[in-house]
Amino acid sequence: MSLYSHILTQILITVVSVSGVFVLTGMTGMFSLGQAAFMAIGAYTSGILVTKLAMPIIVAWPAAVLLAVLVGLIVGLPTVRLRRDYISLVTLGFGEAITALLNRATTITGGASGLTGIPKRTTLLIAFVSAAAVVTLISFFKSSKYGRQCIAVRSDELAAKSMGINVPRVKMIAFLISVAVTAYGGCLYAFYTAYVDPTLFGWQRSAEWIIMVFFGGVNSLTGSILSTFVLSGLPEVLRFLQSYRAIIYAVLVLLVINFRPSGMLGEWELTPKHIKRLFKRPKGARAQEVD
Amino acid sequence: MQILQYLINGIALGSVYALIATGFSLIFNVLKFSNFSHGALMTLSAFSGYFIAAGNGWGLVPTILVSVLTGAAVSLFGEFVAFRRILTHNTSPVYFFVSSITLGTLYEGIVVLKVGANFYNYPRFFGKPYRIAGLFVARSDIIIFCISAAALLLLAYMIRKTKTGRALRSVSFDRDTASLMGINVTRTIQFAFIVSGALAGLAGVFLGINYTLYPTMGSIVVKGFIASVIGGLGSLPGAIIGAMLLGILETTLISIIGSGYAPVFTFVIMLVFLLVRPRGIAGSNIQEKA
Amino acid sequence: MAVLKIDNLYKSFGGVKAIRDFSLTADRGEIHGIIGPNGAGKTTIFNVISGIYPPDSGKISMNGKDITHLEQHQIALAGMGRTFQNIRLFKGLSVLDNVMCAFDPRSKYGVAGSLAPLPGRFREEKRGREFCMHFLQMVGLEKQAHEHPEGMSYGHRRRLEIARALACEPTVLLLDEPAAGLNPMEVGGLTQLILKLSNEFNFAILLIEHRLELVMNISQIIHVQNFGKTIAVGKPSEVRNDPQVIEAYLGKEDG
Repeated sequence: MSLYSHILTQILITVVSVSGVFVLTGMTGMFSLGQAAFMAIGAYTSGILVTKLAMPIIVAWPAAVLLAVLVGLIVGLPTVRLRRDYISLVTLGFGEAITALLNRATTITGGASGLTGIPKRTTLLIAFVSAAAVVTLISFFKSSKYGRQCIAVRSDELAAKSMGINVPRVKMIAFLISVAVTAYGGCLYAFYTAYVDPTLFGWQRSAEWIIMVFFGGVNSLTGSILSTFVLSGLPEVLRFLQSYRAIIYAVLVLLVINFRPSGMLGEWELTPKHIKRLFKRPKGARAQEVD
Repeated sequence: MQILQYLINGIALGSVYALIATGFSLIFNVLKFSNFSHGALMTLSAFSGYFIAAGNGWGLVPTILVSVLTGAAVSLFGEFVAFRRILTHNTSPVYFFVSSITLGTLYEGIVVLKVGANFYNYPRFFGKPYRIAGLFVARSDIIIFCISAAALLLLAYMIRKTKTGRALRSVSFDRDTASLMGINVTRTIQFAFIVSGALAGLAGVFLGINYTLYPTMGSIVVKGFIASVIGGLGSLPGAIIGAMLLGILETTLISIIGSGYAPVFTFVIMLVFLLVRPRGIAGSNIQEKA
Repeated sequence: MAVLKIDNLYKSFGGVKAIRDFSLTADRGEIHGIIGPNGAGKTTIFNVISGIYPPDSGKISMNGKDITHLEQHQIALAGMGRTFQNIRLFKGLSVLDNVMCAFDPRSKYGVAGSLAPLPGRFREEKRGREFCMHFLQMVGLEKQAHEHPEGMSYGHRRRLEIARALACEPTVLLLDEPAAGLNPMEVGGLTQLILKLSNEFNFAILLIEHRLELVMNISQIIHVQNFGKTIAVGKPSEVRNDPQVIEAYLGKEDG
């Protein structure tokens, strides 16, 4: 596989996870600092089911996503009724707990030396189709009744309740969707790199995803995807930036927060209408010339 | 006898957690948001203590001083670059989360740039542990406990008895009203960040003494967060009680099930606590403003 | 049967008694004005009725159903709509979507329909859009449906809040100072709007307002609050001449 298709595959897998974070953080205003732990659940469960129990992928991946959602339900249940800070604190603790568990349960997970021997099945095509499918689902979600309710909850919880919105329920739905999507990203990741270890899923990764969402535009899925490409693509292309990656991200986001708080694209979304218009424009321009 | 030994070790551990939890709660109290850069700030301060003081053969006191000063200074810097604008422009509080997460990434990124993935150790500041009536008491534990207790008592005195403390309390209660009463809100918030940063520096050194110095050591901040959730988010006495409780619980758990699984159990304890008593021990539940 | 019945409501915060023994019975088509000086506990009454704070004691029932201990969103779904004194619209949503949010909890499609283009979703979305556009038309904002509320004038945002409350299909509508910040011409338009809505929907309206001319003109019954207590209840003409009311508003006359 060439370098560029390698980079592209990794970016597309990140797009899947960032789309999940977009639902939770961009739309609903909740911050999960243990989101990468759900990616770990997806990666490890699917990897273990396939390598140790010889399950076919078509069963193992959905099983992994389902397990992550069940765990998400347990983590979310005590927190969705409380103020936003709790879900961040609880997910952060959850991330640490999962890392400890992965390090410790050596016989199943391979411990600190990681889980090896996962078959390499994620191709560029699979990554692309997955990313496209997830982005389509999420954009449908954004314009749905739950999407609107998520944005209402982010904007003003109290007013949302007064309009009959069941806030804990909406928060839970957003959380579980993001968990499912992130866990799926974990499946893609494990079957791409063929190897996972506990250090890959710390809070730094969750923080990176949140940074990508905010850099692109709080309320714009298009922006989140674009910034995923820019922020994770740039250091790959310009290798000498690699070790400064975290610092560059942080400085960029601090600049955005201070000077353009709605992110690069704000609320702008690329819709099928825009794409149509893009192809029509030359025609219109010609018509004007004739006039 | 065994129980007494756990109690002693637990209190020593708990006093470090208490430093973390109060530093975190202080900012939560004043600005009503969770400062997720607190952990990385501990790491940064602990490492600056190593590179400036301990690594050059200086003793414990200079190391602590360097770390505390670094913590305070960096925290003040963080307030300026990440939070000031959000406060003055009244941007959505959601941005506090983003800012603090970003700051955490920045601090940790700086540490990683300097040390890579290496582990460092402070020189041994202390001699052999004392043996008192069959119990082992590490000298470091005694010193850590005493300094922590002194720092927390000083903080309590400051908040309750001084003019700055009063200002801090009224800004916590209602920023707008405090400003109308002639309190310099910006100065007060800066003060809270300085104190919180100093506590982070102190906790950083102690963590470095107890364990080792490594770039992701800041994730121990989770223990402080859990302690303040158990104690009641935003309550300083609650944070200290929660931290002590967590310290004792953890040392007991570790001796039973080993250190590997301990984070899993402390997490489960927090979940159960939230289900049973979401307001925490202190019982003050800060709701988002109506 | 009364649409809204409030019996002996009490609420205090710390030592401050915000509501002391408040009772009210409202029927369909009635407009009740609640007036009183600042800090008289008027908004607290709304916040307790709509479930933001639980009352210390007392009973609230709507359409014969006890709603005292229901959660906020359950009360809204039971038929209560409200606006806020300090306009609380949803940022990040268009004008139409703001109204849609009040319809959404009653929209009949689930999580699957939210993620995928299932037929039920399109049917319900279309129904919702028509339903909400109707209310936007009513308050005169149909042309701004796809704009964002942040850019609108104060008067328009107040009207949007009313449209959003209407989409809750309320049998009781709580309006918290709907005329605050409006110019005299807009106040006239608002008065007409409230009367029109009252006729059209035949719900009970509770109205907190500082502009006495507005309240006095359209309310059938006025409740005057002072320091958490109801000091007078009655027709506008009776209340206007009540000595206690005059004292509360103008202060005690010397001599």
